Amino acid sequence: MRRLIVGVHLQREDVEPIAEAIPARGLFLSGVPAADEQPLADRDLLIRVAAIRAALLERATFIAIRYGFAVTGAEEAEAKCAGRADAWRARLVAHRGEVEMTLKAGAAAPADRPDRREFSKGADYLRALRDAAHHIEVDPAFRVALERELIPLAARSRWSRDAASLELALLVRRDAVDAVNAAGERLRASFPAVPFLLSGPWPLEVFADDDHE
Amino acid sequence: MEETQEITLLETLDHLLDRGVVIAGEATISIGDVDLLYLGLNVVLANVDTMARGGKR
Repeated sequence: MRRLIVGVHLQREDVEPIAEAIPARGLFLSGVPAADEQPLADRDLLIRVAAIRAALLERATFIAIRYGFAVTGAEEAEAKCAGRADAWRARLVAHRGEVEMTLKAGAAAPADRPDRREFSKGADYLRALRDAAHHIEVDPAFRVALERELIPLAARSRWSRDAASLELALLVRRDAVDAVNAAGERLRASFPAVPFLLSGPWPLEVFADDDHE
Repeated sequence: MEETQEITLLETLDHLLDRGVVIAGEATISIGDVDLLYLGLNVVLANVDTMARGGKR
């Protein structure tokens, strides 16, 4: 029996009894038991883990771990988290009262994805992918409205994009979630032609590590 | 399933499958799992498609 890891938490009470609390370097991993032979892509398992993830976030903010990481026990958890525990603890303390929200907006004119077969070098293909994503833009007025309506409500924000959409990740105080959703409704009324999805709250995902400082 | 519920489920699965910290040594295992990668791609594609349809209403 393995334990699929949902997140990293500051306290045991943040995890139990929703999931199994696995000690790791003074922190706790939330584990969901799963049979070794059960495929990771099993629909019921995915739905179960997603529901547990949501319940854990209601309890307290945690650092999300990408689906698929599993351990067989505390010893393995300790070993695999050894190099990151201090940074995770600092992040969990700093952001305990905050959650993430994301806004995805469809591109006004999605770029054509480069055809891998047209490139002899992998580096050239990756460069073309990056360039295609870089040229994605949404309605400029919508972006201005996002900066006016949403970003002031967030402690931090970060833009990212792929070949078909632009995404704004927001780190917001838990008590500001309703205000962010209300701002999203105002945006929807003001820009009915712009397809966008405002979702959350989510655990620490984009703002879970030091790469985005 | 209503469209709103469908979008919520797709977005939830997108975050589950494609967000969060990747533990060193596990990324290869996840990518090597063909079923998982296939499912992840379909969730993302379905999500974009659903967003586009929602925006056209």
